[in-house]
Amino acid sequence: MAQHAVIVEHVSKEFILRHNRAMGLKTRFLALFYKGKRERREHFQALHDVSFTVEQGEALGLLGHNGSGKSTLLQIIAGILQPTAGRVVTHGRIAPLIQLGVGFSPELTGMENIFLNASLYGFRNKDIKTRLKAIIEFSELAHFIDTPLKNYSSGMQMRLGFSVAAHLDPDILLADEILAVGDQAFQDKCHDKIAELRRNGMTLILVSHSREQVNKFCDQFLRLEYGRVVETGRLEQNPKESARWLTAL
Amino acid sequence: MQTSTIAPSSASAVGFARYWQYRDLVRNLVTMNLKVRYQGAALGFLWSLGNPLALIALYDIVFTHIFRTALHNYVLYLVVGVLHYNLFAMTVTQSCESLTGASGLLQKIYFPRILIPAASLLFNLVLWAVAIFVLVALYPFLGGVYHWGLLLYPFALLLYIAFIWGLVLAMSVLQVEFRDLKHMVEIAMMFLFWLTPVVYDLTTIHSALFKAIIGLNPLTQFFDLFHALLYQGVLPQWSNVLAAGVWTLVSLAVGMTLFHRKARMLVEEL
Repeated sequence: MAQHAVIVEHVSKEFILRHNRAMGLKTRFLALFYKGKRERREHFQALHDVSFTVEQGEALGLLGHNGSGKSTLLQIIAGILQPTAGRVVTHGRIAPLIQLGVGFSPELTGMENIFLNASLYGFRNKDIKTRLKAIIEFSELAHFIDTPLKNYSSGMQMRLGFSVAAHLDPDILLADEILAVGDQAFQDKCHDKIAELRRNGMTLILVSHSREQVNKFCDQFLRLEYGRVVETGRLEQNPKESARWLTAL
Repeated sequence: MQTSTIAPSSASAVGFARYWQYRDLVRNLVTMNLKVRYQGAALGFLWSLGNPLALIALYDIVFTHIFRTALHNYVLYLVVGVLHYNLFAMTVTQSCESLTGASGLLQKIYFPRILIPAASLLFNLVLWAVAIFVLVALYPFLGGVYHWGLLLYPFALLLYIAFIWGLVLAMSVLQVEFRDLKHMVEIAMMFLFWLTPVVYDLTTIHSALFKAIIGLNPLTQFFDLFHALLYQGVLPQWSNVLAAGVWTLVSLAVGMTLFHRKARMLVEEL
């Protein structure tokens, strides 16, 4: 029986945008005389009443333009942001690959960063030691693992970040356009790894600009526009005829 | 399998077990800070002794050769005071930047937020432990007396750390909203030093007003405990213990309340 992995119920998120936010006394003083320097507050509704359910082992593609609320939604699911209204229930360990290089400290070596990164997910150091070899091997960084991270290229940091997250057996992977970075060979490797994890029952929520990628990976999709769900649908994953649209709901 | 609910009203009823799961995160954060701080320095870790030893030497010269103090074993008095004041000043000052400095982590992944100030406190305690070893080693040579009351010192220290912990929580979370706080705290620490019996003894103060102000300083209560146990070699007065306990409760109550109230919305302000 499939269990719900992520339930999002009527989630709304409002940010308070502070234009010209007065941080210093000087600005505050000037604001008394100049209207243009005054702080203006604007309530910005990033998400309007978003609801959906993802079953365990399913993959959901989040589509939408820049600023449509995809990343905010991901951050709420990850527990980083609190929704203004509604609730999110998740079952299992979440690995948010929201920005590359979570918890990466530039002064520390790649090796030290693996431990720091994994402990941010709540792992014990001794558990990491057993996975260390696999993590380093997958990232293809064995030669650089003892050099400080500040000497890594952004692609190398990405490889390390993905490798750590993928080897921690996440139950739910939140990927924010991460698959768009890196060279083709490594991208393919990431795709294979995600497919492998999904076969073992991992749930995936993938933010993407590309319909093609969503078609390839996801069982259902959801399109956001200005914080509202404008389109949802299911996709049939057919191995022979990969990426065939079913009728949108 | 862990289940979590994220909703605006859900009380963060997470027990200690939840934090305990993350114990290696705190450990890694502390070792990371230590490594980064003393990276490339030839004396490394020993530098944590530099500041307190320099202060003690300086005050000893000033107060035995320039202003004459009536206190016997003055160096011991100084060492006890300076070390404990340093713990307070370092920890509280650095706690201001603990959350703002960790914005990179806080914005990308969820973990119990309280672990960041906890790691900051622990980091300072580790540095301070080096200094306290020096005190233990030098204790008999500076004129310290061994007595059964010394067994109470760990409890006094724990009370002091609990008092500091309350302030650490409050400062870390307030700094996110008031970025001036850190600069204010730094200056306050300089004033507080002279309002605490560190280089002088309360009996040498004649001004009644000044005496009253010093009495209102919570640190005075703790320093009376430390001086009684480590310097005079007597048991502290109950009134001091009680006052220190009350200050600790106040600090913890304020710190915990502020932190739990602010922690949930913290990320948006970073």
